[in-house]
Amino acid sequence: MAEKIHTKGKSSIKRSRFIKYFLTYLFMLLLSLVIIYPLLITVMTAFKNSDVVAFTLSFQGPWTLKNFQDLFMTTLYGKWYWNTLVISVATMVIQVAVVTLAGYTYSRYSFAGKKWSLTFFLVVQMVPTMAALTAFYVLGMLLNGLDHYWFLTLIYIGGGIPMNTWLMKGYFDTVPYDFDESAKLDGAGNFTIFWKIVMPLVKPMIAVQALWAFMGPFGDFMTARYLLREESNLTVAVGLQQFISDPKDQQVALFAAGAILIALPICALFFYLQKYFVTGLTAGGAKG
Amino acid sequence: MVELNLEHIYKKYDNADDYSVTDFNLDIKDQEFIVFVGPSGCGKSTTLRMIAGLEDITKGDLKIDGNVVNDEAPKDRDIAMVFQTYALYPHMTVFDNMAFGLKLRKYSKDEIDKRVHHAADILGLEEYLERKPAALSGGQRQRVALGRAIVRDAPIFLMDEPLSNLDAKLRVAMRAQIAKLHQDLKTTTIYVTHDQTEAMTMADRIVVMKDGKVQQIGTPQEVYDQPTNVFVGGFIGAPAMNFFNVTLDQGYIYDEGKNFNLKVPEGCLKILESKGYEQKKLVFGIRPEDMHTEQAFIETFPDSIVSATVSVSELLGAESQLYSKVGETEFVCKVDARDFVQPGTKVTMGVDLNKAHFFDPETENSVY
Ligand SMILES: Nc1ncnc2c1ncn2[C@@H]1O[C@H](COP(=O)(O)OP(=O)(O)OP(=O)(O)O)[C@@H](O)[C@H]1O
Ligand SMILES: [Mg+2]
Repeated sequence: MAEKIHTKGKSSIKRSRFIKYFLTYLFMLLLSLVIIYPLLITVMTAFKNSDVVAFTLSFQGPWTLKNFQDLFMTTLYGKWYWNTLVISVATMVIQVAVVTLAGYTYSRYSFAGKKWSLTFFLVVQMVPTMAALTAFYVLGMLLNGLDHYWFLTLIYIGGGIPMNTWLMKGYFDTVPYDFDESAKLDGAGNFTIFWKIVMPLVKPMIAVQALWAFMGPFGDFMTARYLLREESNLTVAVGLQQFISDPKDQQVALFAAGAILIALPICALFFYLQKYFVTGLTAGGAKG
Repeated sequence: MVELNLEHIYKKYDNADDYSVTDFNLDIKDQEFIVFVGPSGCGKSTTLRMIAGLEDITKGDLKIDGNVVNDEAPKDRDIAMVFQTYALYPHMTVFDNMAFGLKLRKYSKDEIDKRVHHAADILGLEEYLERKPAALSGGQRQRVALGRAIVRDAPIFLMDEPLSNLDAKLRVAMRAQIAKLHQDLKTTTIYVTHDQTEAMTMADRIVVMKDGKVQQIGTPQEVYDQPTNVFVGGFIGAPAMNFFNVTLDQGYIYDEGKNFNLKVPEGCLKILESKGYEQKKLVFGIRPEDMHTEQAFIETFPDSIVSATVSVSELLGAESQLYSKVGETEFVCKVDARDFVQPGTKVTMGVDLNKAHFFDPETENSVY
């Protein structure tokens, strides 16, 4: 009798486990289809003759690398690419530095206006970029920053600071204060505590921040469109759009080729940073 | 040589209404092992952290070797501390955890190597030096935390409940190890615990605290034999001291229901009378081990007998504890295992009044 119940229980556990895995995989499969399908179209199109006129999935040749050649020979793509890289790297370096320091300060020190400014960050975050565009434009005119990288970079950095400072602060908060105090007694000053003790423990978040900040300028169309004028000053997102903006002459293949190349630096950075994306760094330091 | 003086130390946290530590006075001699003991929230950690420099001192002077160090940063006080949570740096190996403080103090690589290996040797950590803390057991982490303090060779060790995260057996083992360490290194140590057994077994002197105030400072024996008030009497010793509300009447004490009438020894009586307690109420304290069920004792002291009903009895191998009730007062009696009785039994117990403690019911301070 008891045995019967036992086996019955076992098989029902097995079944529910099967259902669980089945649903999980089904879900992931659907998701990957949604992601892979357009990606596949883009990749296919990029290697086709320039006479394709619409984005469709077809595996028929002929295949060519001509689009990539054209991009750099006949268009300003190379220049745009360089522009974007410069802006991206600058945004990444400055934003990560600012956000890390700000997050640390908010997490570890108390100062006048701390609570107030954190709330302010949240509120500012709620203003959509769309609504702020006009303000950016006016600001750009006043500062004589229109059509200049430095101004666009500044806008990107400024836009990223509030939310990411919040995130950084939250992550710094997960590092127990005991580590700081222990280091203090070991003879560490404020900078050493930050650099040698706390910073290494928030690397995963810093890596995420870096990746996000780097990706931003590659993906942003609206702000760049608004603040940049001269054709040779554009970023890739804005530049590419020009290939398909004329309804009578859409250079689909060229567009696809250019789009694929954007993925390269982002992928490279992702794989470089991957080793930092490990969670649970603080494990084992405290408790028994 | 290091001496530590705490002079009228007060602490009030910014966000608190009351003082967490009030008028703390203590002179610590070189090589002493001091234990702060008291219930949760009594201000032990706060005091320790003020000594370490992790908290500001609100009022009073903290002196190390005669110099007031209130405003010195922790790193300049040269104090090593073991945290309750160990606070090992998770991203560093055991070796680096121990070496960190030495590197910051610019010791040579050879010297660091020597010291870390020496400490690892003492603590049995040699084979774990290349591991990260996450890959260690609780006891091993605890030893690394100790090692981090040892390598520094600091003149003062502070330990805040270093054993509270360990299981009972490991705790006893580590207790012995810390005691031995102190015998070898002779570093002046302040050790915080709320476990009175740790306090009794390890301390040169115990500081008993309650509600931010020092209740008594003394050797384990002093604190045990001459508690200054009801709180210390009840806190030190396991099981705790028994208390009865009694009235002194012509050389005898009786409780409210007159369930017992005990003869007070001559010397003690003189003092109680001279302090004006005749016909007055008193709190009578007696330790569980000073109550006896042996026939011989009861026959010898027929004036020192209490009849009680046992409500719970525990056999602990060599001895047994009888939780009993006389009138409305509950008390514990620690007797030989042979004298174990079933619950519900009526038992006659002899009270060794030469070991009696008397406290004033109002002030709760000791009067004898
Ligand atoms: N940062 C703080 N801010 C305000 N009050 C505090 C702070 N830290 C401790 N206290 C208060 O100070 C008192 C003493 O705390 P403390 O941590 O020194 O107790 P403790 O004796 O170490 O207790 P435990 O045995 O539980 O560790 C407590 O009443 C506590 O609530
Ligand atoms: Mg504490």
